[in-house]
Amino acid sequence: MAAPVIETHALGKTFGLTPVLQDTEFRLSPGRGAIVIGGNGCGKSTLLSIFAGLVAPSQGYALIFGEDTRRFGPRYRRRIGMMSHQSFLYPNLTARENLELYARLYEVSAPREVAESWLARLGLADSADDRVRTFSRGMEQRLAAARAMIHGPSLLLLDEPFTGLDFDGAARVRTLIKSALDEGCSIVATAHTPFAVEGIEFELYEIVRGQVVPYQEEDAPRRGRLRSLLRPRPS
Amino acid sequence: MNAFLAILRKDLILELRGGRSTTALVSLALLVLVVLTFALERTAGGGPATGAGALWIALVFAGMLGATRVMVAEQENGCLRALLLSPVDRAILYAAKLTASATFMIAAAVAATIMAMLFFNLEFSDSLATLGIALILGALGFSALATLLAAISIRARGGELLLPLLIVPIFVPALIAGVKVSAAALSGAPLAAAREWVGILVAFDVLFIAAGYLLFEHVVGEE
Amino acid sequence: MNRRLYGALGLSALTAMLVALYMVFVWVPTEADQGIVQRIFYFHVPCAWVAFASFGLVAIAGIFYLWMGTQIWDDLGYAAVEIGMLFCTLVLITGSLWAKPIWGTWWTWDSRLTTTFVLWLMYGGYLMLRTIADDTEQIARFAAVIGIVAALDVPVVIVSVRLWRTIHPAVLVTRQGGHGLEDPRMVVTLLVSLAAFTLLFAWLLLLRFSELRMRTRLATLARDIALARFRAGAA
Repeated sequence: MAAPVIETHALGKTFGLTPVLQDTEFRLSPGRGAIVIGGNGCGKSTLLSIFAGLVAPSQGYALIFGEDTRRFGPRYRRRIGMMSHQSFLYPNLTARENLELYARLYEVSAPREVAESWLARLGLADSADDRVRTFSRGMEQRLAAARAMIHGPSLLLLDEPFTGLDFDGAARVRTLIKSALDEGCSIVATAHTPFAVEGIEFELYEIVRGQVVPYQEEDAPRRGRLRSLLRPRPS
Repeated sequence: MNAFLAILRKDLILELRGGRSTTALVSLALLVLVVLTFALERTAGGGPATGAGALWIALVFAGMLGATRVMVAEQENGCLRALLLSPVDRAILYAAKLTASATFMIAAAVAATIMAMLFFNLEFSDSLATLGIALILGALGFSALATLLAAISIRARGGELLLPLLIVPIFVPALIAGVKVSAAALSGAPLAAAREWVGILVAFDVLFIAAGYLLFEHVVGEE
Repeated sequence: MNRRLYGALGLSALTAMLVALYMVFVWVPTEADQGIVQRIFYFHVPCAWVAFASFGLVAIAGIFYLWMGTQIWDDLGYAAVEIGMLFCTLVLITGSLWAKPIWGTWWTWDSRLTTTFVLWLMYGGYLMLRTIADDTEQIARFAAVIGIVAALDVPVVIVSVRLWRTIHPAVLVTRQGGHGLEDPRMVVTLLVSLAAFTLLFAWLLLLRFSELRMRTRLATLARDIALARFRAGAA
């Protein structure tokens, strides 16, 4: 079996006196997609931040591509791409300038050409030299996706990729996820509710009391779900 | 090098497209100079010394409020996060931010010098180059500190108060030296006369740019 | 902390201080130029020495904290700043008390006092940071960096202020400052006073340091409790 892309060991994160994650075990095999479900404040964004090497865990550790996230070097950062509700785009730069900047930061060879091809691929070629400030939400989102993937990451971290999107936006994200997985990328996405992408079988998880556990399909509201987990299941 | 130039270029372009860092610095400097004009008693023959002092007061105050904009502005759309996500060496990020901040401060210094000359009836003498050297070195040193300590503005409660509180005493040697060189320049003395002070400015800059380069990674990260 | 160490240190500090007080007020001869007031010197200089040593300790603690990441170094640095500030304030006060009878003003911008004042401001800023901002690891890292930067600044401040002052002779008279002590009894008194103040400093530092260690332990305990409650499913 191939070495896991993500592997955690007793991962925990506490902010001040508020524990968010504790004894978290999570594993992701290469080329697989995982969805982590939870409400606000449950720790799913924190989990992604730890995987991205942005936040250090309070307890335990996470290994991405076999490397401890606390000791992340450029070699590993180059293989990770991230999208969140923040666009990571400079509003006063043009689409092209944004992409070229990040291409250079990620040491992509031929940054100009690569940026060009991504703009074409996502249908932004006409607005390539317009400032991002003038973009619609959908266009901004497409560009954010291009930014996240322009360096060909092996691991994509998507923080609530469907939040605030209309039908078209959601369709685009689905296409993006599918093509990334088809190209062998691994994906971890977080969401409030599970989503489906045609042809892809996701591993579904949720965060319960700071731990990542397999997702239980329940109709009951969150609190009810917790109670029902504690209640003995009907045989 | 590639990354350094890419980030620096980005900051300069953004500034030209309405970044308002330089505008903020210049406006604040102007305000301070105006206040000083009305607040200070003008002694006859005290021109160069008073003018040099006023100029540096204006720049320090403007810098306290405006020099961290290069870092603060990165927070829009989470771009600082994106930079930290990328493979860019934190020290390179520091170098790029420092250079951008210093560039804006120098631009503001030029404007402030012109205003100070008008307000305080200073002479445009041959030693303008010396004055320029003092201002450039001062701006570099201030930016080195401000960029490093900007993390405190961003991430600590009460950061906007703490930054000026910390920068001013640390900047004192450069302030003393800068004013001395500037006063000498404005009274027409050649560079050699203020040799020692220039030496202090250079030592200050080298010391704190190196310190910032090494320490930046410890302050720029997230919790 | 070890009670015996406490007691031993406290006792030796007390003894040394009593000896020093006797020597300063009774034993040492009165200085020719400045009269009785000059005796302040035997307090003023050791306070300065202690303050400077303390701030050096802050920088070293800061370096170790950034390097090792263990809380004990942060506690040491914080304690050192507090005690250092105490003695720094004493330097300024004794300097002022000395200046008034000699030069007729409560404050003079002589190079040593000015340097001490700048130091006082820098570390005052450090204390403000720790007081106003939250008590997190990130703030501790900021504090470590500030401690290092401030210590790096000290030599530059000394040189620049000394140069500054030689151009404004105005109020000033070169003070003895440890050189030109004619009577060997003066030298001995100074050394004894130095030892007494150093012991006092060590004792106070130990006191404050253990207090902070306890505080750290309490915080860790609180975190552990919060974690345990979290695990058990409480709010």
